[in-house]
Formats: sequence, C-alpha cells, structure tokens
Amino acid sequence: MSNGPERSASTGILLGAILIGLGGLLLGLQVDSNGAWCGTGLAPLAIGAFLALAAIAARVSTTSGRLPRNAMGIVAVVAGFFGLAFVISGALAPGGPWMFLEVLLLVLVVTLRKPDSRTGRWIASSAFGLLSIFLLFRLWISYQGSLLRWQVLSVDVPVLSWMPFDFLDPVKRVALGSFTPFEMGFPPAGLEFAASATLWALGFALCTAGLVLVQASAIEHENDRVHALIRTLPGPVADVVERLLPEEEWREQGLHGLPERQLARRIEALVSERMRRQESLRRALDTTKQIGLSGGSGFAGEIQRAITDESQRETPQ
Amino acid sequence: MGGSLARYDATLPVLDGKTLALVGVAGILIAAAVAVRILPAPRVISAEEVKQEGPRIVEPMQLLGRGAALRAAELDEWIAEERRPIFRAARGQVFSIRGCPEAVAWLDGVEGQRVERLLGELRHGTREEALAALALVFQLARSTEWDPGVLASIPEANAARLAGLAGDWLRAWGERGARDPLLAEPARAAALLYGRLMYTAQHSRVIGTNTAAYERGLKTLSELVGLDSGRRTALGESLQSRHPEAMRKLVLDSDRLRGFDAEARTAFPDLDGECGG
Repeated sequence: MSNGPERSASTGILLGAILIGLGGLLLGLQVDSNGAWCGTGLAPLAIGAFLALAAIAARVSTTSGRLPRNAMGIVAVVAGFFGLAFVISGALAPGGPWMFLEVLLLVLVVTLRKPDSRTGRWIASSAFGLLSIFLLFRLWISYQGSLLRWQVLSVDVPVLSWMPFDFLDPVKRVALGSFTPFEMGFPPAGLEFAASATLWALGFALCTAGLVLVQASAIEHENDRVHALIRTLPGPVADVVERLLPEEEWREQGLHGLPERQLARRIEALVSERMRRQESLRRALDTTKQIGLSGGSGFAGEIQRAITDESQRETPQ
Repeated sequence: MGGSLARYDATLPVLDGKTLALVGVAGILIAAAVAVRILPAPRVISAEEVKQEGPRIVEPMQLLGRGAALRAAELDEWIAEERRPIFRAARGQVFSIRGCPEAVAWLDGVEGQRVERLLGELRHGTREEALAALALVFQLARSTEWDPGVLASIPEANAARLAGLAGDWLRAWGERGARDPLLAEPARAAALLYGRLMYTAQHSRVIGTNTAAYERGLKTLSELVGLDSGRRTALGESLQSRHPEAMRKLVLDSDRLRGFDAEARTAFPDLDGECGG
C-alpha cells in the first residue's frame, strides 16, 4: 500500500482541526464600542460542549460503541467535538430564554434525530441549516442590541397605530421578544456590531468547513485502516477480497472503528459469507444450464437471456 | 493471523515530527479559542473618575444645583481676564433675577442680550469657561418661567428658547465634555435639562402636542448621543451608563423625550419652570 491515501486523510484531519481552532478563536471574541477586544464568555461554550457531547454519544450508540483506534482517529474525534461545540456556541443566542429555546430545538434535531449511518456524519445537514438560521438570528438581535433596541421586533398595531391620538401611544406598538444587554453578554461599553458580526460569521464558516473536512477525512482514515489490513494479504487474494467487499460497503458493514483483531475476524467472516453466496449462485446457474433454457419473450424471456449472458461471461473461454 | 497483523501495524504511518507539530498547532489554537472566551471586557471608566492634578474646580455639579449662588463667585477666577468683568456683571444679574420673569422676556431685555452674547463667547473658551456658561444657563432655567400657562399665546416659546441655550452648549461641549473629568457630569446634566425643556415645549399646548418641538429635540439628542450614526458617541456612552432608562426611552418609547424629562425632574426638582414655586 502506498502512503498516499493515508497521508491525504491525515492532512485533511489536521487541516480541519486547524480551521476549527481558528474559527473557534474568532467565535470567542467580540469588539466593544470603544474598539477593545473581549471574550464572549464560557456559558455558550458550555452549552455547545454539552450538545456536542450528546451528538457524539448518539452517534457512538448507533455504531455499537466503536471508537477511534489510533492517534489520528483520536485527533479527529477531539477536533470534531470542539468544532461542533464552537459551531453551536457561536450560533446560539448568548443567553436568556432565547438561548434555551434554541437549545431545545437543537436537542430535538441533533440528538433525537438518528445520525445517517451512510454518511457517517456526526451532525446532519438539517442541523447545520438550523444552526445557520440561529446564527442569523444571533446577528439580528446583536444588531438590535447594538442600537439599544432590546427587542427582536416592534410591530405597529393595526388601526390603533393609525389613529392620531397621543394617549394611545403606549398601545400603538407591540414589542416582540425583548431581551437585555446582560442576556446578550454585551461588554459594558456596548457592542461594535460590524466588527463583531464579521468575526462571528467568519468563525462560523471556518468551524463549519473544518468540521466537514474532519468528518470526511475521518471516514477516509478509517477506510485506509481497513485497506491497509486487506493489503497485508498476497496481492491477488487482496484483490479478490476487495472485489467481494467493495470500499463503499465498509462503513455499512461495521468495519469502521473496530480494533485490529476484530476487524480481521469481521473481514474473514464477510469474505466467507460472500464466497458461500457466490458458490450458491454458481450452483443455481449450473442447475439452470442442466435444465436448459427455452427462448421466450417478455419478462420471462428477458430474465432467461440475462442469466444466459451472465453464465457465458462466468464460463472461461 | 499474527504475522498479518504485525505486517499491518508496519503499514500504518507513525506520527512524524511534522504531523506532531501540526497537531500541536491545532491544539494550541483550540486551547486559545477556549481561553479567549474569558478575556474580560474592559470596564468603562467615566471621565469624572480620572484623577486631576493641579488647581481645579471641585464638585462642579454644585455650580449647577440649587446652591449654585453660594459658589458662583469662584468661577470668576477661571474666566479669561478680558472677559472677567463682563462675566462678573452677567453672573450678578443672572443670580439676582427676582420675580420669575418669562425666559423669553428676560433674555430679550438688555441684560438678557448681554448674557446671551457672553454665553456664546464662553462656549468658545476654556473648559472652565464652558462650565461657567452652563452654570448661567442652569441659573436662568431656575429663576425664569418656562412652564407655560393655559393663556400663553406661544406656550412653547420660553422652554424652547432656554433649550436653545442648552442645545448650543451641548453642540459645543457635549462630546468633548463627556471625556473631560470636569465636564462629564455637567454634560450629562445639560443633556437632561435640554430633554426636559424640549419635552415641556412639546407638551406646552392645551390640546395636542407640538410636533415640531418634539422632532427638533429628538433630532438634536439623537445626533448628540449617536443614534443617527448607529454608533454611540462619548456623551451617549456616558448617558447610557448613568441614565439607561432615559436612553432606552429615547430609542424605544413612543414619546422619546419622556425619559430625559423624568430623569431631569429627579435630578433637578427645583427646575420646574416656575422658579421653584
């Protein structure tokens, strides 16, 4: 086996981890009205870490508790955990009832939704979409707060707002979704919206890209492990094994995350099972040859023709 | 199987120095991303908290309060020599107003015009002269009538005229004053007084409100605190830290000057438009 694919997966994991680190750094900062830098606080990160842990636990439970088996696999899991925690903490409202409403929605989407075993991702695309919407909402309320408007929206009450009576002023507008500077985690001098929003949007993009890269590379890394084991067999035998067990099926067949000995046993069992299936098929084809095939048309004819063609291909010239 | 696994182990790459270095970089970045979150936000240090060296006017708010007459003479020494005699005379006239004349009537008189001219000069002088100017404005607001009666022909005129003096001072010194240890608190007081006067002008009519006064007051205060530009000014920051309710109402309330009026009533109960009567 060449080192090429393995290097590629490792590079992907490391690059993803560095992107996650950079993104997390940007998501952890904000700029106040005087241009000073300060942190966004640990509370949102704690919520993000909790949800990331829940997402990873949900994934581990669906994969029969399989774990990373080497240093690079562990790097991928750690980077993925922090990536997910940073993305969630960066997208959530920084505090108050809005944050807990978002947490509730995320719990429903991230942890209760079964992860897709085919993609092997820790977090579904729909959850990423939801997080993007949360980020937009966070940017909006931060914008409102930076203008000292401590509400999500202010709506004119129809009819009442059209009347030219001052005594109706208090009931002419309805404030929807109020919040406070404390809930928003704003610095005492207020938030410089443009700079902070740029930091957060860039950090979110970097973390998301890093997370996707780490996830894809971790899958590739696991495939490389399986491939490396198969390639310890003599070349022609390894070719047969890889034809019997195509790479696309390795994750679905539960080969990812197995310790080496269990992986070897699992491959042996799968090869044995597939060979038995091939043998059974060959015997069935032989039987059809002995019976003899009569021509025909329609569905039966097409099936017979397909079997004949396949038999001829199987028979050595 | 044992032999195969030994060969398998040999095929897996070990973490070489370069890879370990990249893992280290990623680790440091992630650790830094967690650490920066506890970076404390800088405390807002208001200008009046800054210690001043050398001779200075202490407790400048006393010169704007009810007992200003007791200390007003201290201001003389801070006025430029060429203006000092005029200031001394004007101070005497303002602090000796009796009978609660209407603000417009008094300002349009000989003495009033002289004081108004002097205020213009003091606004372009030193910070101490700016404080002296503001002390005169506050005393005028204290000793003249600007709360309109039912029979007033132009009910908003008195309050609007005095608000004009406070507004002119704020335009000249509001922003600079908010950063100045001597003028930070007086600048906030001037903003509250301006809001109170314009609110009075706005609600001076028996029926309805004076929209023009409201719009003018709102526009001026919005500019002064930085609502129009989307970025708060130093005066806006100062008002936000000390009078958050007034600022909240300035942004959100349907009657946006109401917060300044309420805060001014609390801070200066004797400024009632009827000479404390």
